[in-house]
Amino acid sequence: MCAAVLLASLAPLIVLCARAPVMDGLVALNLAGTIVTLVLLLLAQGTHRQPFFDLAVVSAVLSFAGGLAFARFLERWV
Amino acid sequence: MTEVVVWILVVLGTVVQVLSVLGLLLARDPYDRLHFTGPASTIAPVAFALAVIVDEGPVTQAAVKSVLTALALVVLNGVLVHATARAARIREHGSWGLLPEERAGVD
Repeated sequence: MCAAVLLASLAPLIVLCARAPVMDGLVALNLAGTIVTLVLLLLAQGTHRQPFFDLAVVSAVLSFAGGLAFARFLERWV
Repeated sequence: MTEVVVWILVVLGTVVQVLSVLGLLLARDPYDRLHFTGPASTIAPVAFALAVIVDEGPVTQAAVKSVLTALALVVLNGVLVHATARAARIREHGSWGLLPEERAGVD
């Protein structure tokens, strides 16, 4: 149930990413990455499937790398 | 008793996340919005990792991986917030350094 609530909370962030100025959208993207990681963590524990925990770990690292790449390019070039 | 503790931790993490999203939506500019990624990347992952530890035990594969996830979020979020704020400032003012009026306040 909590995973569903967290998934629902992604909707306003997606709207913000689409409508708001670009830097506000980047902040929303950062928070969305965190939420997706935690949803994967909750689903892994809820379904008792060990491989899903790996997805959460990978998602945590990759959402950081993605956010960093966006921040770097949005500084000057985009 | 264990189930109650797990539920309290999971609900705590979920409430923190939802409040962070609400705060982010209500804030005015990117600098204000960045503040609300803090609780979402520190309190909630730690609460969820503790919930997994309480549920599965401290030396299980699930517990170790959830602690690793929480650790990654807690440590890397600070770097990401700094990079985002830096990008916003450079985009706004053209450089990362102090503006002349800000330098006057420092000197």
